[in-house]
Amino acid sequence: MDDNFRTSDPDRDRVAALLREHFAAGHLTRAELDERITATLNAKTSGDLRRVLADLPGASPVREHAAALERGYRRLLAFYPARYRRIHEDEMLAVVMTVAPDGKSRPGIGEAADLLLGALRVRCQPSRVGAEPAWRDALAVLSVILPVVILLISALQAQRWSSPGTGELWVLQQIATPLLLVAVVLLRLRRVAVLTAVGLLLWLALLSGSGTLLSGASDAPGYLALGLVVVALIASPGPRRGLQILTWKHAALVVIATLTLGITTSHQLTLIVIAVICAGMALVSSLSRWLLVLLAIPAYAFFFGGPYAVFGEPSSAVFHVATTYLPLGLAMVTLAYLLPLVLLVLAVVAARRESQRSSRTPSSSSLT
Amino acid sequence: MREPTFLILTALAAGAQHGYGIMTDVAQISDGRLRLRAGTLYAVLNRLTVERLVESDREEVVDGRLRRYYRLTPQGAQRLEAEVDRMRSNTAVAARRLRLLGGTP
Repeated sequence: MDDNFRTSDPDRDRVAALLREHFAAGHLTRAELDERITATLNAKTSGDLRRVLADLPGASPVREHAAALERGYRRLLAFYPARYRRIHEDEMLAVVMTVAPDGKSRPGIGEAADLLLGALRVRCQPSRVGAEPAWRDALAVLSVILPVVILLISALQAQRWSSPGTGELWVLQQIATPLLLVAVVLLRLRRVAVLTAVGLLLWLALLSGSGTLLSGASDAPGYLALGLVVVALIASPGPRRGLQILTWKHAALVVIATLTLGITTSHQLTLIVIAVICAGMALVSSLSRWLLVLLAIPAYAFFFGGPYAVFGEPSSAVFHVATTYLPLGLAMVTLAYLLPLVLLVLAVVAARRESQRSSRTPSSSSLT
Repeated sequence: MREPTFLILTALAAGAQHGYGIMTDVAQISDGRLRLRAGTLYAVLNRLTVERLVESDREEVVDGRLRRYYRLTPQGAQRLEAEVDRMRSNTAVAARRLRLLGGTP
C-alpha cells in the first residue's frame, strides 16, 4: 500500500480507536497511548498512520467490534447540531462506549432511538446561554413575513378573479383586511394583530362558500396560513423581535416564492423555482431551516393538495404535474402520504450532512 | 420538574461529576428504577446549562477519551431546594390525609 496518500479525519479516528483498544488490551502504557494518539492527530499521510500501529499485534475480533461500534455511534451523533457536536461529541462517545457491553459491533435500537430523540430535543433548545430557541425566533420572523405573503396572494387572487365589470373597489375590498393585518404587524402591535388575524379567520369561515379571498379553490391553505400567523403572534416574542432579526435574504426568498406561484402559469417552472429556494434556505442557517419546517404546514396544503385536493378544485401545481403521469387515485395517495415522507427523509439527511460538514471547522462560540 | 431532571440535579448536589458518573449515581439514587441513557442525559444537561442551573467544571483525558465534569451553580442549588420544599409539603399533605383515612400512620 502506498505510504504517501493523504489521510482524512475518519482514518485518524479509526486509528485512534484502535490505539485505545490496544491500550485496553495492555499492549501500550498510558504514556505510550498519549504519545501515539498525539502522533495520530498530527498524521498527514497513510504512512504516518501505518507507523503508529507498526509494532502492535494485528486486528482482533474484539477490537474490530469496538471500532465498528464507535463508527456506528458517530453516525448517530451526526444528527446533533454542528455547534453542539464540536463541543460534546467526544464526551458523549466516551459515555456510550463505556456503557456498551463487550463484543457489540452495532448500537442497540434503544440506544439509537435515545440518541436520535436527544438530537431532536437539543435542536429545539436554545443554542446559547440566555438566547431564544431557534424555533421561537423563526415564529417571530413568520409573524412578520406571513401577513405580507397573505396580502400578496390575496392581491394576486383578486387580480386573477376580477373581470372587466368589477371595479377597483372590489379588488380593494378583497385585500382590505390582509392590508390591515400587515399594517398592524409592522406597527409592532402584537395583541391588535392577534385580534385582526382571528377576525380575518372568522370572516373567511363565514364566507366559506365563496372562497376567493386567499386560495381560489380549497380554503385549507388560507386557514392554515392564518392559523400559523395567530400561533406565531402568540407563541413567539412577536413582530418586534421578528423585525429585529429579519434579514433581507429571508424576506426576499419568501416573497419571490409567493410571486412566482402567483404569476407563472407553468407548473413545472413553479416547482423548480420553489425547490431551488427551499434548498437554498435549508443550507443557509438553522433559523432558515426552522422557517422552512413551519412554512411547510400551509405550503403543503397549497402546493401539493394533500387530502384537501379531494374536496376542492385541485389548483396545486404538483397535483397537475402528478396527474399527467399517474392515474388520479394513485396521484392522490402519493401526494397525501408518500411525498411528505420523502421530503421529511430528505430534510433529515440534509441537516445531518450539514452537521457533519461544519463540525470539522473550529468553533468560535461555546455553550460551556 | 420532571424526574430525570430532579435526579440529575440531586446527583450533582453531591459534587462535580462526569456524564457516566451521573448515570450510575442516578441509577443508585432511584434504586435502579431510572436508568438514564446518554441521549436523555445530555439533552437534560444542555437545557440545564442554558438555564444556568448547571455549568462545566473541568475536563480530563482518561484512557485516551475526553471526560467533562459538571457542577451545580448557586441558582441550580436554589432551584433544587425549592423543588424539594414543594415536594415535601405535597407529600406531607398526602401522608396526613392517608392517616385520617385510616391508612398507614
